[in-house]
Amino acid sequence: MLEINKRIARTWSRFGLMGAISAVGILDMCKTNPNICLVSADTSGLDRFKNTYPDNYYSVGIAEQNMIGVSAGLASEGNCVFATAYASFLTSRAHEFIRQNLGYLQYNVKLLGFSSGVAAGTSGVAHWSIDDLALMRAIPGLIVLSPADAVEAVKMVEKVAEVSCPAYIKLSGGKNSPIVYEDDYDFQIGKAVTLREGADAAIIATGLLVKDALDASELLQEEGISCTVIDMHTIKPLDHALLDRVFETHSLVVTVEEHSIIGGLGGAVAEYKATKECAPRQIFMGITDEFKKTGTRDYILGQYGLNANGIAKTIQNNLK
Amino acid sequence: MTNREKYVQAFVEGLEINADQTEGLAYEAIPEWDSVGHMNLIGCLEEAFDIMMETDDIIELNSFEKGIEILKKYGITIA
Repeated sequence: MLEINKRIARTWSRFGLMGAISAVGILDMCKTNPNICLVSADTSGLDRFKNTYPDNYYSVGIAEQNMIGVSAGLASEGNCVFATAYASFLTSRAHEFIRQNLGYLQYNVKLLGFSSGVAAGTSGVAHWSIDDLALMRAIPGLIVLSPADAVEAVKMVEKVAEVSCPAYIKLSGGKNSPIVYEDDYDFQIGKAVTLREGADAAIIATGLLVKDALDASELLQEEGISCTVIDMHTIKPLDHALLDRVFETHSLVVTVEEHSIIGGLGGAVAEYKATKECAPRQIFMGITDEFKKTGTRDYILGQYGLNANGIAKTIQNNLK
Repeated sequence: MTNREKYVQAFVEGLEINADQTEGLAYEAIPEWDSVGHMNLIGCLEEAFDIMMETDDIIELNSFEKGIEILKKYGITIA
């Protein structure tokens, strides 16, 4: 188990989520497990892994569908395979291959979708990955994960490697990702983390927007509004027990994600909430049903109100 | 610990090398000082001297000696 402290959290945040996973998480696992493989569809920034464990590294070029087939083949030989590509192309172009090889045949492949959300916005709308959670969530037998920061991303790959089943991990942002966790904590797949307790609203966030949710709750606190903030790092299986408690104790639930408001975290929470007899109102914060202008991540998210100020304003307006 | 000892120790810990490898060492001269090792080194320097380095300085710190020069900006003298 890797040590975690403030310095390490800051260093890993500089790597970004994908950098931390490849240069720290998976690299560390290979020290004790020779059956870990990293397969890449022309992903850059993997030099440390490639140079340290060249026999465990495979690059298939810009060929996401082929990558899934290669990964499934490696998994069929008893390997625990991590396969990485741009989230937009991984989850859309290779969807059928993921569905058949991972969902149906259950090959032990963990997908790492980097530059998820709008991190690669300057490359154009084709690089927006705002539907990956919806696409992956609908595949039976696939765990779907979304870490809040680099520390959680590393802990996530350690845990997901312990289970012999396929998974998708949504990795948003780039280098210098925000920091939510500065100390070690108990990470369990399927068990959300309550970061802050409040009474007026519950903000259920995922991915890098967890930090914005926390910052929004600070802004709201100054206005006398207290919010619970939850890091919902596992989209499937959803933490039903925690949601039951949230629904019983809050009159307003706000889901926040760097993803379409259709089919992602918001949809998952709403689907479960719909089974309850009494449940609070829900606000869906995410990418609305239109492509706005592209640009840097901050610019794009700002257009959709997906930052601390936007989240705080939305909650304040809805509590009036 | 003197500032020099702290400085050397940051290299030892950040790059996972021996103290006798530090003098004259440059970025990418050894496999350990790649981009990943570099960030580990920066983290160790920041912790050792209780500073937050600016991005330009992080990029410019490309040798043991250059680091000594850069740390002067933060009021740290390595004798």
